[in-house]
Amino acid sequence: MTSILQIVIGGLLQGGVFAIAALGFSLVFRVTNVVNLSQGAFCVLGAMGMYYFQVSFGWPILPAAVAAVVCTTAFSLLVGAFTFVPAVSRLPNSSALVLTAGLLTFFTGITLIVWGNQPYALPPFSGEAPLVIGGLRIPSQGIWLASVSAVIIVGLWLLLQKTTLGRALRACAENPAAARLMGIDLRAMMLLSFGLAAMIGSVGGVLVAPVMSLQFDSGQFFTISGFIAVAIGGMGSFSGSIVGGILLGVAEQFAAYYVSSLFANTLALALLLAVLVLRPAGLFPSGPPRRSDVRDEGRIHRAVVRLPGRRQLAFAVILLVVLAVLPTLPMPNGLLQSLVIALILYIAVLGLDVLMGYAGQVSLGHAGFMAVGGYCAAILATSYGWPPVAAVIAALILSVLCALLLALATGRLRGHYLALATLTFGLLVDSLAVGLVDLTGGPSGLVGVPAFEVAGFSFDTPVRMYYLALALAAILVLALEGGMRFGFGRALKAVRSDQLAAAALGVNVSRVKIVALCISAALASLSGSLYAFSFHFLSPEMVETTRSFEMIAMLVLGGEGTLFGGLFGSLVLTLLPTLVQDLAVFKTAVEGALLVIIFLFMPEGLFGRLVLWLNKIPFRGTATAYARAGS
Amino acid sequence: MTAPALECRSISKIFGGVLAVDNVSLTIPSGSVSALIGPNGAGKTTLFNVATNLYVPSSGEVSFFGKNVAGLASHHIAALGVIRTFQTARVFPGMTTMENILAGAHLHVRTPIVSQMLWSRAARREEKSLIDKADALLDMIGLGQSRNVAATDLPIGAQKLIEVVRALMANPKLLLLDEPAAGLNDRETAELAVFLRAICDAGTSIIVVEHNMSLVMGVADLVFVLDAGRLIASGAPQDIQRNPKVIEAYLSRPEGQSP
Repeated sequence: MTSILQIVIGGLLQGGVFAIAALGFSLVFRVTNVVNLSQGAFCVLGAMGMYYFQVSFGWPILPAAVAAVVCTTAFSLLVGAFTFVPAVSRLPNSSALVLTAGLLTFFTGITLIVWGNQPYALPPFSGEAPLVIGGLRIPSQGIWLASVSAVIIVGLWLLLQKTTLGRALRACAENPAAARLMGIDLRAMMLLSFGLAAMIGSVGGVLVAPVMSLQFDSGQFFTISGFIAVAIGGMGSFSGSIVGGILLGVAEQFAAYYVSSLFANTLALALLLAVLVLRPAGLFPSGPPRRSDVRDEGRIHRAVVRLPGRRQLAFAVILLVVLAVLPTLPMPNGLLQSLVIALILYIAVLGLDVLMGYAGQVSLGHAGFMAVGGYCAAILATSYGWPPVAAVIAALILSVLCALLLALATGRLRGHYLALATLTFGLLVDSLAVGLVDLTGGPSGLVGVPAFEVAGFSFDTPVRMYYLALALAAILVLALEGGMRFGFGRALKAVRSDQLAAAALGVNVSRVKIVALCISAALASLSGSLYAFSFHFLSPEMVETTRSFEMIAMLVLGGEGTLFGGLFGSLVLTLLPTLVQDLAVFKTAVEGALLVIIFLFMPEGLFGRLVLWLNKIPFRGTATAYARAGS
Repeated sequence: MTAPALECRSISKIFGGVLAVDNVSLTIPSGSVSALIGPNGAGKTTLFNVATNLYVPSSGEVSFFGKNVAGLASHHIAALGVIRTFQTARVFPGMTTMENILAGAHLHVRTPIVSQMLWSRAARREEKSLIDKADALLDMIGLGQSRNVAATDLPIGAQKLIEVVRALMANPKLLLLDEPAAGLNDRETAELAVFLRAICDAGTSIIVVEHNMSLVMGVADLVFVLDAGRLIASGAPQDIQRNPKVIEAYLSRPEGQSP
């Protein structure tokens, strides 16, 4: 009995942190209708700030905490004003969601640059000795956490219910257009909600720093936990956030105690998937859901980025020749290896382009399909001695089945719910890869994967692997170019820009989306398999959620809806850290910043920009017709 | 005898406490151009949206060509040969005029995805025939020059025409047009009337919801008048113009538009 109570106390403690992160999600979602994935980063920035002031400067607890919270909030306001707020007003919701993933990456990168990659722990506010009540041990920090959380919740409630400012915030949540007509500055309110969420998050970070060891990428943990909590409780509902957070915390503690801490995540994610499927609005729905599946007309990227047919062919041929000649040039082995990775990732990004660029659906868990493909093929080839080609095909089928299952489960979940369900799927696969030690080798990875082999020919050198990946990529581009140019691609693009009008023309919207998801899952799976065969090794961190975000960054950087764009994106983001090794520490921050900046200022991407520029050059009179649209 | 293009039986639609459409029954024969008119807020577009299942009727039934459409999804209604356009021009952004129009032929793309990916001869031949058809239609509405321009770049009148042509690419048996003349000038409206008549003569029934009386009187065979959710008159355009109830409905309210 005592042990159960002890677990519950641990769960409440953990759940309190999740609840604080969840509150931030709900607040921003209420006002902007965007799930702000950078929420977790505020916790880490707050905690790191606390360490800075308390340990490095030797300040007393209270001033250090206040300084950490103030600095984090100020920094977030600054970043939010130039990124989040314009994004929400300018971009479709799905793009704004992806942009916040970029912000999370950016904040993580900044933390890495400033504080390095070692874990930090702070002394508890009032000593190590726990409070003992009737045989139960309650960590003193837990008392702090619980009481400050309560103060935040009451304060937030008072602010929203009792002040004019709170009423304005709520008005924006209920009906943004009407709020604007009443003279409320919508942008200021969005920024305010972002800042408040940052403040709440950083307070949570400061409080939790003494009981958890934190490092630069812990933000992802807070984002995911807070997000799961809020999705269980009900997006946008404050009481739901708190209940969801505490439920999640307690469930994880029980799972860790009775099953294994390796599976604590798996259980939480399964819980989330169940809630998403059975009660998409969460346990405490906050009012009728707004329609988020139809992109707002005024906020769609309007440029037509297309090379005229003959030019496209010439461009593709030149590109293929350049890429084919590349390995014959003298270059360090590491660079060639990076080129192989870039091409392999490009295959997955191609699939992501079909889903995001053409069909307009966001997947935040694409690495999950890579993991399924990679592990399945690697395990079949390594432990069961399957021929690599058969293993790859089996993995492909499994991935498509996963995609179909996910599509069935999320059939009713349109718009951002698909993004969130794929995120959950990615995390679930990741936690299984970590947890199923016997099958996957667990955190230390799966070793001894043989080289890829077709009919006795072994692709055992980087050069051979390079040509294999290049040939596959070229074939896939050709096939997808056909698929996207003819009827299927038009149906996808129609669905992307206007589902209602597409359906009125006879397009079966959900079928088309499911096919796009399956294609992209198949390509991710193929990419994952090649990845494992190329490295002869696969570990969970090679295919974790960071990888999903990185692939999105590659796609957006290169240019969505272009097929070729992803190649440029994956080349830049894979080769840059190899070429400038000294600057490798900046990689994460640059990746995040690039994603955000490109989304805001160059939505057509690198390749799109190139196309628009090429189209300005007159070429037998055809080019001028492809003028850039929009103002 | 062929089934009527559209048959509404006792349709009502209540929003909150507001009765937007009140027990409307009407039958529109196939092979005609019919118009649904009425002052603002009369429930024309609501009736349109109920008919195409965007709204679930509070009571009543709709059938197209004798087929009851209760519970059918939009794309299934389209598959019956009933294609609608929208009140505000809804061309697809990020797609050229040509792509927009080709998108209308979705129901007639027969080659499977795999065949398209393989650039099969069937896929290319099908694409070629669709492009030829689209080009012919584009020339007919005088937008041949704009085929490779982003559709959202064109003036609103051209966008509305593109929507009509896009719907035509589906070879509809019945075309439902929601205010096709909104945003068009007098000359364009006259051209649209000629175009609609030609479409009808080629075998497609048409129903328009329209404010523009010169279009309605110029092209419609049958006119149905809605006021405050109720059907108050129906008949040939000349009779409607003289109908005292219609005149009253249009003139009795300050914001009404005179026929």
